[in-house]
Amino acid sequence: MSDPVQLFHTCLVNEIGPEVGMAAVRLLERLGHPVGVPLDQTCCGQPAYNAGFHDEARSAARHMLRVLSATEGVIVIPSGSCADMLVHQYELLFRDEAEWREKAHAIAGRCRELSQLLAEEWPRMPAGARLRARVAYHPSCHLLRGLGVRDAPLELLRAVEGVTLAEVEDQEECCGFGGLFSVKQPEISGRMLERKLAAVAASGADRLVSCDLGCLMHLAGGLRRQGVGLAVQHLAELLDEALP
Amino acid sequence: MTARESILSRVAAAQRTARLPARPVAEPMAAATRSRSHCLERFGQELAALGVGCHVETTAEAVRERVRCLVEGQRVLSWDAEHLPYEAGAVLTAASRGSSPRAEQAAAEVGVTGCDGAIAETGTLALLSGRGRSRAVSLLPPVHVAIVRPEDLCFSMGEFFARHGARMSQEPSCTFVTGPSRTADIELTLTLGVHGPGRVVVVIGPEPA
Amino acid sequence: MSAVPPFVERVRSALGDERLHVALGRATEALRSRRASAFASLEDSDRVRDLARKAKLEVLADLASQLQRFEERLVANGVEVHWAETGEEANRLVLEIARRHGVKRIVKSKSMATEETHLNPALERAGMDVVETDLGEYIVQLNQDRPSHIILPIIHLTREDVGAVMHRRIQVPLSDDPRTLAGFARAKLREEFLRADMGITGANFGVVETGTICLVTNEGNGRMVTTLPRVHVAVMGIEKLVPTLEDLDLFLRLLARSATGQKITTYTTLLRGPRRPGDECGPEAMHVILLDNGRSRLLAGDDAEILGCIRCGACLNACPIYKSIGGHAYGDTYPGPVGAIVTPGLRGLHGWSELPAASTLCGACRDVCPVRLDIPRMLLGLRRETVRTEKTPLGLRLGLKAFGWIAPRPKLYRAAAAAARRLVRARAREGWVRRLPGLGGGWTQARDLRAPAATTFQEQWTHRQQTARATGSTPGASAGGAGGAGVRRQQAHKPEAASGAGLTPAERAGGPGGAAQHPPARRR
Repeated sequence: MSDPVQLFHTCLVNEIGPEVGMAAVRLLERLGHPVGVPLDQTCCGQPAYNAGFHDEARSAARHMLRVLSATEGVIVIPSGSCADMLVHQYELLFRDEAEWREKAHAIAGRCRELSQLLAEEWPRMPAGARLRARVAYHPSCHLLRGLGVRDAPLELLRAVEGVTLAEVEDQEECCGFGGLFSVKQPEISGRMLERKLAAVAASGADRLVSCDLGCLMHLAGGLRRQGVGLAVQHLAELLDEALP
Repeated sequence: MTARESILSRVAAAQRTARLPARPVAEPMAAATRSRSHCLERFGQELAALGVGCHVETTAEAVRERVRCLVEGQRVLSWDAEHLPYEAGAVLTAASRGSSPRAEQAAAEVGVTGCDGAIAETGTLALLSGRGRSRAVSLLPPVHVAIVRPEDLCFSMGEFFARHGARMSQEPSCTFVTGPSRTADIELTLTLGVHGPGRVVVVIGPEPA
Repeated sequence: MSAVPPFVERVRSALGDERLHVALGRATEALRSRRASAFASLEDSDRVRDLARKAKLEVLADLASQLQRFEERLVANGVEVHWAETGEEANRLVLEIARRHGVKRIVKSKSMATEETHLNPALERAGMDVVETDLGEYIVQLNQDRPSHIILPIIHLTREDVGAVMHRRIQVPLSDDPRTLAGFARAKLREEFLRADMGITGANFGVVETGTICLVTNEGNGRMVTTLPRVHVAVMGIEKLVPTLEDLDLFLRLLARSATGQKITTYTTLLRGPRRPGDECGPEAMHVILLDNGRSRLLAGDDAEILGCIRCGACLNACPIYKSIGGHAYGDTYPGPVGAIVTPGLRGLHGWSELPAASTLCGACRDVCPVRLDIPRMLLGLRRETVRTEKTPLGLRLGLKAFGWIAPRPKLYRAAAAAARRLVRARAREGWVRRLPGLGGGWTQARDLRAPAATTFQEQWTHRQQTARATGSTPGASAGGAGGAGVRRQQAHKPEAASGAGLTPAERAGGPGGAAQHPPARRR
């Protein structure tokens, strides 16, 4: 039995992609972690933060900090951008409020993005993960550059027998989601989406995987608009599917 | 209040409120140095990569002969003889100098200089200005021949600065030349010889006896 | 100066230009990979970048006295120093200097600072003959265009474009061969260099310790304009200082690598003063104009760090937005990520607030910046400023204020989210929404929206926990057991089923609720 973990499921997972949350739960339990879900969590505040509405972001952030401070142990987050928000941006948000900044600092120290944790603990996972798939991996920007998580998702994919990694040109280039940017600058966002999907198509992948639901919604929505039937999946779902 | 006073007072005030990030902690790096032979070898490699012709001569006589061949049949613009190493001025008696009329200088087909230093790490020539060492010589003609003494070689630019800082502080200009003039402004297509010389040749002579 | 069209128009025009798209893709790709190779060959590059960043931050923290020291050295070297609070003042000073020296013909080496002050039109209006000599800038001038990249001004023009411009403007034979065209420019500009009275440059760096201006070029025009004419004027932003020659060495190691992938540019010229008696060339008079034009205001605020920019253009090459819209869409002298901060900084946020908003904050710029400028942080700060001081669309403002109010109130939040989910699901066909009204319309302009789930994660989780308690089984976690107690999740389903994308209608119609998700009961 491993230590209990808290799941900060994120608002997108809750409302739009619950299967990602369920997959994350199962993966964590397979590693022996009892999972707790603080039910009062709402949203980390990133949309407001990125749009420059920092008072509103702080309002959401204070609530999240209260909810999470009432728990103990590792906080697992199945989203690179939400994890980055808690790990790096909260302290900046509360730059001028010492008490909240300290709370934010304490919470930041407890957070692990899901693939980070899974990669570290994968040796404890029951063997036999198997899936025939040619996977195009899209590293979301906050995961890659914000948190510096580059290898963990790739290691996890490589740990699944039958998975090959497709080579995607300009793999690390932003997909064009960027939160509210996707609706405020739809034309530029669309252009970036086109480029990313063209690269994915050229890679010969039969599955597109990422660790951020925002990017996934944007990418899947683009594929759907193009009429392309490529499977799109959160890494947690793929791993969950692959395990016996 | 003059513009100067106004700007300085605004800057001074701004410094006080500026939100500058914390400075990185980093140890200064000593200028890289290497042995003479390593420098010579590296210099040669860099010149080759730049497309700069390189001739290594083992005697002063051979240097002069090489220079003579390189400029044969062409109008020459050169540094004054007393500034050229290996008495190379002896084979350039008909050359125009920095004191010649500008039109004559502009018509030269090859410019011959010595150098004040050479930087092995990047295949660079360092040329200080001064009387008898006109900047135009390494600039106007389409070909530049530079005579280099092995003892002029540094490994890095940092080393050059350290060694020659005093001299640099006496001359109005110090130019570092690394290969032929080039541009890629049009569709990233490389073209050599836009404005500065399109061809550079280095002649390296022997070490002092 | 003609009025700049609104940002959205500039963007649309750029996105609609297929040739621009191709040119930008090619050029930024090439520059990115060259930069990567060049940095791979730089020993201890992380330390070099840290030291460079440190040097810049130190100078900025002490700028007033650094400027004074710099001025003292320059003056001691025989340079005349001028100070310009605004761009107009800088132009006026250049004109004054030109008149004082009886100057009629001017040759210019590339200078972004003089782009910023719109110097050329001012000189031309005063009857001066001004010729840009950097090949790209020369074409821009002939074409009455504007540069679109910090390092490659005509990245937006094809070789055919350039040939046509030169044929039209200077009556050379029509050609599309870059080397031929460069040859035409060399011949024409050589005449200009030889007869010019004054050379104007910018300055890549100003070295405080020695009172030196440093120019970094590849073509040789920087040397030409500072060697042949009898007067040299350098226009330098006050932030361009570096403390010592040792620091300069660091920056020289970074600049060319970041900009073009070269270890060093062809010419690095250090200029300390006018010619001395007996010198055969070099200007008789050298002037340096120290330009503020909003830099002191930038220094006073949160974005002071941006003054550490060394104008390498690496951020442009890394930026997926720049790659999509090109330099002209940024509307002012400095494009790309650095431009999105500098333009509002120098010109004021009003009228320029769209620039910092047009970014996904992906951070690619910060990764490649030689002095590690935290561009995303500054963009966020400008967005915060925008909300504070500019008008934001009412719908967005109300929406986010409502968000701020309900986010700390879980019950209200759930109710609002549930209502939104219902509304969106009502518009869904086969699990997807093709068109949304209002702000949502921005989403559906470029892609479909996957319909939200019938039940939330929390509902599914709660149900699962309750079921487990009711049946007395432990949901899932016996440590690692493949055959453990508890309900195992179903066998691997087809990839398409995993998230609803790509399911056929028949496959999706299966569960209750009819939408894209598998209904909870089928999962553990």
